[in-house]
Amino acid sequence: MIDQLIDLGAAIVALAAPSSLLSVLWATLLGMTVGMLPGLTATLGIALLTTLTFRMAPEDAILILISMYVGAIYGGSRTAILLNIPGTPANAASSLDGFPLARQGRAGEAMGLATVGSFLGGCVGLVLLALIAPQLAEFGLRFQSYEFFWLAVFGVVISGRLTAMDDPIKGWVAGFLGLLLAQVGQEGIHAYQRFSYGSVDLAGGFGLLPALVGAFGFAELLSVMKQPAYQTVRDYGGRVLPRLRTVLSRWWLVLRSGVLGTVMGIIPGVGEDMGAWVSYAAARRASREPETFGSGNTAGLLAAETGNNAAVPGAIIPVLTLAVPGSAPAAVLLAAMFIHGVRPGPLIMIENPGFIFEVAAMVFWASVAILLLGLALTKPMLFVLRVPREYLMPIVFVLCVVGSFAIASRVFDIWVMLGFGVFGFILRQMNYPMAPLVLGIVLGDILDKNFRRGMVLSDGSFEPFVTRPISGVLAALTLVTILWGIGPVRRAVARLFRRS
Amino acid sequence: MLLTVLGVAVIVESVRMPRLQELGVDPMSAPGLTPGLLGVILTGLGIALFARSVRAAPVAGEAEGGWGRLALALGLCLLYAAGLVGRMPFMAATGIFVFLFVAAFSWGRASAARMLMMALALAVGTAVLVTFLFEKIFLVRLP
Repeated sequence: MIDQLIDLGAAIVALAAPSSLLSVLWATLLGMTVGMLPGLTATLGIALLTTLTFRMAPEDAILILISMYVGAIYGGSRTAILLNIPGTPANAASSLDGFPLARQGRAGEAMGLATVGSFLGGCVGLVLLALIAPQLAEFGLRFQSYEFFWLAVFGVVISGRLTAMDDPIKGWVAGFLGLLLAQVGQEGIHAYQRFSYGSVDLAGGFGLLPALVGAFGFAELLSVMKQPAYQTVRDYGGRVLPRLRTVLSRWWLVLRSGVLGTVMGIIPGVGEDMGAWVSYAAARRASREPETFGSGNTAGLLAAETGNNAAVPGAIIPVLTLAVPGSAPAAVLLAAMFIHGVRPGPLIMIENPGFIFEVAAMVFWASVAILLLGLALTKPMLFVLRVPREYLMPIVFVLCVVGSFAIASRVFDIWVMLGFGVFGFILRQMNYPMAPLVLGIVLGDILDKNFRRGMVLSDGSFEPFVTRPISGVLAALTLVTILWGIGPVRRAVARLFRRS
Repeated sequence: MLLTVLGVAVIVESVRMPRLQELGVDPMSAPGLTPGLLGVILTGLGIALFARSVRAAPVAGEAEGGWGRLALALGLCLLYAAGLVGRMPFMAATGIFVFLFVAAFSWGRASAARMLMMALALAVGTAVLVTFLFEKIFLVRLP
């Protein structure tokens, strides 16, 4: 453990070159801006920035993308506090207490607390990243086709369950639709072209980035333009820098939220929003005055913002060690790593052992950047929220078109972006979550190859899929998650526990 | 219902995919195996959703406004991405799109002259900046 912390420290120092820090500053600031603007999410920001950085050296590009990621998840808290509109889905829990604080004339204090919470959450998460990721990568070396098959199924099922708490069937539909969409095009074992009907473009499959730009960019644009205009902000009121005593006296809340956020990040496809909600719920349960949550309790805001930023390094842990994303933005990060020739997965500690600590160091400097920029630029950043959406959205759409086209120079990718945008918009209107869909698209290839390889290795028997120890555990977890999502089963189990 | 139809269609298509047995391929690695499995799952989920919708009372649709704004935004975006891009220089297509979008959604909010000036400035600025930034700085090809 000490060795890992020493490696982390060395990576942080090694990354402190002026050119790297400059990249961190501008990319984090851009991320904060993206996060603040309703309709622009971390996923879209990373997808568009991947287009701009794909000719850069891999380490520079990944540094910029991670800074964008951290900045965007934090930036959304501003909008949640000032407008009661979460800038990104990860900040929904922050608006519960952030907005009431702003209405009490304490918006400055709320923004300061959110900034410090985000910084501390990032720090807890990156330490856990440095400690857990090497162990998880080593554990991942035991995975064979059977385990990877269940990992893909479990990822989609748990993501569908947790991102659609009220209606898990919709979450599962989104996830399995994502897996199905990933089957379009040339498959990876016999090079047979599925569902392509003679089209050369369809034979290449749907590119992940154009699909994500559509589902998170174009679909968001349509949602934003459909809604009535939001109120612009004039004043943030009072002191921004939180009192040290306020934060120090809540060290346990910060630590608990950081750990919970990181754990939520590690679960495939669940991510930052659940990190915030679970931390918020835990803070409320542990509070002596839970009735004040939702009416401007600073502990609630601190927990939510610590939780969502801790989920960022958490979501990167399975990306690095299993090549399975912990959230939608992490899925884009994974795609960007592949584009840049970085091969995340269980072999990472053998092929590139320092990379995990380099990534943790990138999260550290990005977290420092949000602390500095967030506290120093409170007033100037308010100008971003005053830009009318009719000025901003056409520019966003131009970037969506260019971003979809640029990676492969295929006009077909623009059509993919448009198709996924309209499809994503319709799904949103019907309350289907997007994260399982994205995870499904990413995991589709892993599921397909490993299912068929496993079936060949076992001579067509499904037995090893459930009798091998890790496979069996993953299969049991999948089954429990499904049963937990079925209302009558859940209620029957609850009754059973009450009786006993 | 639509989901069930999709699931069944996927199963049918998967069964129709070649097994490649003439090439000595193990039938368990046939290309249609995974899509077939997914088709079965989607059919099951579709039936579950359909059964629930039959049981549940119909919910009144949301009477939210904004469908006109949505149609306008969708129309302008499709005009740009599917109609203008690729048929004329990127800079011109972008300028026209941004001008139309800003003008259409700002209509009636300020004086006509001011609104048109703002739309023109944004259109020219975006077209020039995006083209320059992507082509010259980031060396990215534009459509």
